Amino acid sequence: MTAAALAGPVIQPSLRSRLWGLGSVYGKSIRDSRRAIIAAAVLLGLVFIGITGAIASQFNTPESRAEMVALINSVPPILAGLAGPVVNVGTMGGYLQYKYGTFFPIILSLWSVLALSGTLASEMHRGSMEFLASTGLSRRKIALEKLSGHLTGLAIAFVVTLISITIAGASFAALPGDEISVTQAFGYSIWMVLMALAAGAVAFALAPFVGRGAAAGIAGFITIAGFVLNGYQAAVPALAPLANLTWFGWTSAHLPLAGQFDWPSVVFLAIFVVVMLAIGLYAFGRRDIGVTTAVPTPRLPRALVGLRGPTSRAIGHNLGAAIAWGVGIGIFGLLLAGASGSFTDTLNNSPDFSNLLKTIFPNVDFSGVGGFLQLLFIEIGIVLIGLAAATLASGWASDETSGRLEFLLATPLSRIRWAGNTAIGVLVDMALVVVLTAFGIAIGGATAGGDLLTPLTGTFVLFAYGAALIGIGVAVGGLWATRLAAPVVALVVLLTWLLQILGPLFNLPDFVQQLALTNHYGQPMVGVWDWGGIALSLGIAVVGVVIGAWGFKRRDLKS
Amino acid sequence: MAAVIKADKLTKYYGKHRGIIDVDLEVIQGEAFGFLGPNGAGKTTMIRTLLDHIRPTSGHATIFDIDTTADPVAIHRRLGYLPGEFTLYDKLTGGQTLDYFANLRGGVDRSYQQKLIERLEVDPTRKFREYSKGNKQKIGLIIALQHRPELLLLDEPTSGLDPLIQQEFYAVIREAKEEGRTVFLSSHILSEVEKTCDRVAIIRGGQLARVDRTEALRDLAHHQVELVFSGPVPTAEFEALPGVSDVVADDHVLRMRVSGNITDVVRTAAKYELADFVSREPSLEETFLAEYGRTADGTPVAEVSAR
Repeated sequence: MTAAALAGPVIQPSLRSRLWGLGSVYGKSIRDSRRAIIAAAVLLGLVFIGITGAIASQFNTPESRAEMVALINSVPPILAGLAGPVVNVGTMGGYLQYKYGTFFPIILSLWSVLALSGTLASEMHRGSMEFLASTGLSRRKIALEKLSGHLTGLAIAFVVTLISITIAGASFAALPGDEISVTQAFGYSIWMVLMALAAGAVAFALAPFVGRGAAAGIAGFITIAGFVLNGYQAAVPALAPLANLTWFGWTSAHLPLAGQFDWPSVVFLAIFVVVMLAIGLYAFGRRDIGVTTAVPTPRLPRALVGLRGPTSRAIGHNLGAAIAWGVGIGIFGLLLAGASGSFTDTLNNSPDFSNLLKTIFPNVDFSGVGGFLQLLFIEIGIVLIGLAAATLASGWASDETSGRLEFLLATPLSRIRWAGNTAIGVLVDMALVVVLTAFGIAIGGATAGGDLLTPLTGTFVLFAYGAALIGIGVAVGGLWATRLAAPVVALVVLLTWLLQILGPLFNLPDFVQQLALTNHYGQPMVGVWDWGGIALSLGIAVVGVVIGAWGFKRRDLKS
Repeated sequence: MAAVIKADKLTKYYGKHRGIIDVDLEVIQGEAFGFLGPNGAGKTTMIRTLLDHIRPTSGHATIFDIDTTADPVAIHRRLGYLPGEFTLYDKLTGGQTLDYFANLRGGVDRSYQQKLIERLEVDPTRKFREYSKGNKQKIGLIIALQHRPELLLLDEPTSGLDPLIQQEFYAVIREAKEEGRTVFLSSHILSEVEKTCDRVAIIRGGQLARVDRTEALRDLAHHQVELVFSGPVPTAEFEALPGVSDVVADDHVLRMRVSGNITDVVRTAAKYELADFVSREPSLEETFLAEYGRTADGTPVAEVSAR
């Protein structure tokens, strides 16, 4: 008898499991990213409807709308940088585009970068790709199915955005011109998804060559840099050549919710995405599995590697990430501090705007580096520090998640000492991030002139916030599982940011808005401190580490 | 001799899932003790519970007369441990990794560390992530050995090692024993335990099935013999031979289980014209099933004996 004759009936995977489940690479990709897809869809749907409704109810008379337009027009380009261009802001769609238009592509870009940098690289890193690539599926098919999984997620995000904007545009229109057409909703939704996909596609193309971490880092840097450079190119013309190198610059004239379309730029963006994805697919099919080219980084001197004990090892282990974050945020600070001279000129030439600021922030002098950084740097700087804290928390957790802790705790190293000392090491790394940020601000500020000491002192607030987040991460990691530390920190950062941005818009109760730690720091870049918030942050850091160490002492190690 | 490890009704459940159940055990100072069992039997759970990496659900254990949950650090100071599965710092070299663990113990004898590096033939200048599986295992072994601990806890220590390095490892274990140190190693390889251990415990389904001297393991060793005769099958003659059991005749084929020496079976078979002679040493898994798992429904042996 032949083997074929001996074989029993073969049960083919069902269509359902091929589409959602373990019946195919595509099905598993969808299954694995179901939480992200659901979260993105729910967030986009609710936020677009919520924001549009809030705008309509807040500016529901021609008078209030005129006041809002006048206010926006009085904001000089240097301040409006990170918002969109001022086009038809008197309409609901125009205001939505101006205030929040670039916000959602950035959020979706983070998702796309993380998903597409890791979809193949993480399988290679853990070794499962060896099995997958031996199953009779071609490498290109594996990559294509994994990519299709993410594209499906983004397609769902597109449909939800399209529907929610269309519904909101039809339901909440309060004044003539407020209606948002299906074409406008389509123009925004497709642009948003392509922007996110452009960032992800760069990561996808790079990952086979440089690995997941470097690919995500490079794509993330290009995205954030493109966003910032594009935002400030109007105010700082020297940035324009660089700004137009990224998709933010290419599509800067496409403002569909404001009724302004630039379809050729969107088509160009789509072509760019297709080319990048094709490079990724081709490279994965051609290159050796799991072999990447290390991005050259200088070798650390032995003293900095950290072999003396758990504190120095934690510092050394996370040093690369700390330096990368510090340099990145430092460059951001350098650019903004360097541009503060233009801001001072604007203030000097615009007494009305100067008076407006004095009304909103009495007793604060904005005519200098510190004032400019307080207005423009600190909000994004805080978010970036939060993401740095999540990265460092992930590095802290890796002792347990990788299994090293099995070894480490078989030495005369107590659990409390491990948790406490490594947390201190991570806090030192956080301090390094802030010092490098301050260094960038110092260089940029020195070129602009004026008082530097106050904004440099103000960067301490970044450490306070970062330390609090690490305390929260260590507490969660110690009590339950260290693998939860980074996701919880990232979630706190995101919720804090959303609360800070959306809280006033939705008129959330004061006690809810006060839950955002970042609402308790005063204006530190201009020397106005809320010491209660600083003390609370440092307290959270200390108590978090103590709770984490106590919790870790009590629980089983996760193997 | 004093007991270095004592376990008293040691039990560990992971939620509803069984780890180990009521394990009673004593490991004497200076002996090499093998902890033998198939995959998922509870070997790693036992070791991790002894290390206080996980906490017992009930029962307790002592090492060096110290309760494992009371002062694990005092215990860890005197032992060396090799986990069954591990990863270390990808960006550190093997040498830096060894130095770090040496530092955590307040320093080690560098000449002994170097000797181990040479004996196990590992290049300490390469980054950990560049090592093969076997070389990673060697780094783990040196970490466990380099401070000359009084007690070695080794979870499947030869996994991934080539045969020559395995021999070197066995030699290191023998030397440790000669120096009066205690070795507790888990394995699912019968021959490995035979080569290195004085006593052995067999664990199955989380429960100890047997604790005995290693020589007694030889009772477990048997051969599955299959003889293909050209003529009639002399079943009765083979059934009468010492150590032969489970004799089954099927046409011209005679199958049997032979415990101990196989010489009598070979001599008897030589008297006949044979078309084929196949002798096979079953895997440990099969041996376990034969010795401890005769209940076809998979009921644990302890439950059967309790009935």
